[in-house]
Amino acid sequence: MMNINKGSFMKRAVFTLFSFLTWVHIAHAETNCDAAKTFMNDMGENVISLLTNQSISDKERADQFRTILENQFNLKAIGKFVLGRYWKQASDEEKQTFLNLFKETTVATYANRFKDYTSEKFEIRGCHVEPDGGVIVSSQIMRPNGQTIPINWKIFEKKGEMRVYDVILEGISMGITQRSEFSSVIQKGGGSLEALNKALEKKAPQS
Amino acid sequence: MNYFFTILFSLLLLISPVQAQEDAYSYMDTDEHPGEILEINPEEFEEIFDPPSDLEDNDPLESINRVTFGVNSFLDDILFDPISAMYVGVVPEFLRERIGYFLRNLSEPIVLVNNLLQGEMQDAEDTLRRFAINSTVGLGGIFDVSTDLDIPYKREDFGLTLASWGFEEGPYIVLPILGPSNLRDTIGRIGDYGFDSINWWAYFTDDNAFYSYTRTGAQVLDAKSDNIEIITDLKTNSIDPYVTFRSWYTERRRGLSSKNEERVIETAQPEDEDEENLEDDEY
Repeated sequence: MMNINKGSFMKRAVFTLFSFLTWVHIAHAETNCDAAKTFMNDMGENVISLLTNQSISDKERADQFRTILENQFNLKAIGKFVLGRYWKQASDEEKQTFLNLFKETTVATYANRFKDYTSEKFEIRGCHVEPDGGVIVSSQIMRPNGQTIPINWKIFEKKGEMRVYDVILEGISMGITQRSEFSSVIQKGGGSLEALNKALEKKAPQS
Repeated sequence: MNYFFTILFSLLLLISPVQAQEDAYSYMDTDEHPGEILEINPEEFEEIFDPPSDLEDNDPLESINRVTFGVNSFLDDILFDPISAMYVGVVPEFLRERIGYFLRNLSEPIVLVNNLLQGEMQDAEDTLRRFAINSTVGLGGIFDVSTDLDIPYKREDFGLTLASWGFEEGPYIVLPILGPSNLRDTIGRIGDYGFDSINWWAYFTDDNAFYSYTRTGAQVLDAKSDNIEIITDLKTNSIDPYVTFRSWYTERRRGLSSKNEERVIETAQPEDEDEENLEDDEY
C-alpha cells in the first residue's frame, strides 16, 4: 500500500511540476515571440529603406548594410553552421579569414542588388516558437506588381539580445543552401577550408 | 498507351515505400542469430538512415547530372534566355500576366485531380471553385478573380501526391531542358502529363497536336520569363551553381510537400560556450 501511495504521489508531484514548468516555458516563449516580431519589424523596415534608398552612394549603402549584418545577425554562428564538420578541422586563422570573406561576399551580393526596387512593402505575418527554442518570424515582401515573396527569419535570443540565425526564402533556407554549396567546394578542393577561402576571395570585391 | 502505364508503374515500384523499408530492415537478418530482430535505438537508426546532410548523399548520378546541367545552362545562354528577354522586352507586363494566368487556369484540372488523389476534399472544392470562377468571370482565366475572393492558387502536382502517399524522393536527377528534379518528381511529371485533358484531346484528334505543342512552348516561356531574376541571381552569386540548384530544388520541394505539418528547418544555433544562457531555455 505504502508503495502505491508513494508512487502515485510522486507521479502527481512530477506531473504538477512538469505542467508548471511547461506553463512557465510557454509564457516565456510567448514574450520571446512578440519581442522577435518587433525586432524583425524594425530591422525589416530599416533594411528595406536602406536597400532601396537611391540617394546614397553604393559604397555608403554597402557600409550601412554591413553594420546591420554585424549587429543583427549572428555571423559567427551562421558561418560555423554553413561549414558544418569542416569548421572543427580548420585553424583559427582560416576560420577568421573565412568569416570575414563570408561577410564581405554577402554584402557584395545583397547590398546593391535591390536599389532599383521601389515602393516595396514589408509586412510581418506571424511567429511561432520552434522546438529548439528559436523563434520563426514569418514575413512577406510585396512587390509593386502584386507578387509576394514569403521570407521567414530564424531568431534566437542570447544574453537578452536577439540575432538572426537563418533566412528562409520561399521555404528555402539560405543556411542549408550555402552549407551544401560550401561543402561541395571544400570537398572538390581536397577537404580544406583553404580551397573555399580562395574561391570566395575571387568573388569578394577587392578592398 | 499500354507502354506508358507499364513504364510508369515499374518506375513507381522503384521508389515505393515498402521497398525502401525492406531495404532498411534487410540488415537485421544476421547469420549468427537467424530470425532475431536487433534492438536499435531510434537515434541510432536515424543517424544511419537519415544523415544530417543528405543533399550530397542523394546524388549518385552526379557526374551525368553535371553534364546535363551544363548542357541546360548552355541552352539557356544561347536560346532560352535571349527568347525570354525578348518576350519580356516586347510584351508588356500586363499582357504577360494575362498569358500567365490563362495558362495556369488551363492546368487547374490537373491540380484538381491531385487534390482528389491526396484526399484533400477542401482543397479540391477550392480548386473547382477557382476554375469555375476564373473561367467565367475571369474571362477564360486571364484574370485571377478567385484570389481576390480569397481562394488563392495552391500548387499541386503528381510528384507532391506521390510524396503524400509516402513515396521517397529517390535520387536527384537533372532533366534535359526541364532542369532539376528527382525520381519521384520525374514520375510525377509523367503522371501529370497523363492527367492533362488537353494532351488527351490532342492525342485522340491528331490535328490538334499543334495546340498542345503551342501550349507547352508558351508554358516554358512563361515559366522562364517569370523566374528570370531569381535564376540569374542564383547563377551569378554561386561558386558552384550546380550544387546551389540542387539544394534549392530539394528544399523547395520538401517545403511544398509538407504543407500541413510544420516543417522544422535545421539552422544555426547560438554557440555552445554560452551554457548558462542555454539552460534558461531548458525545463
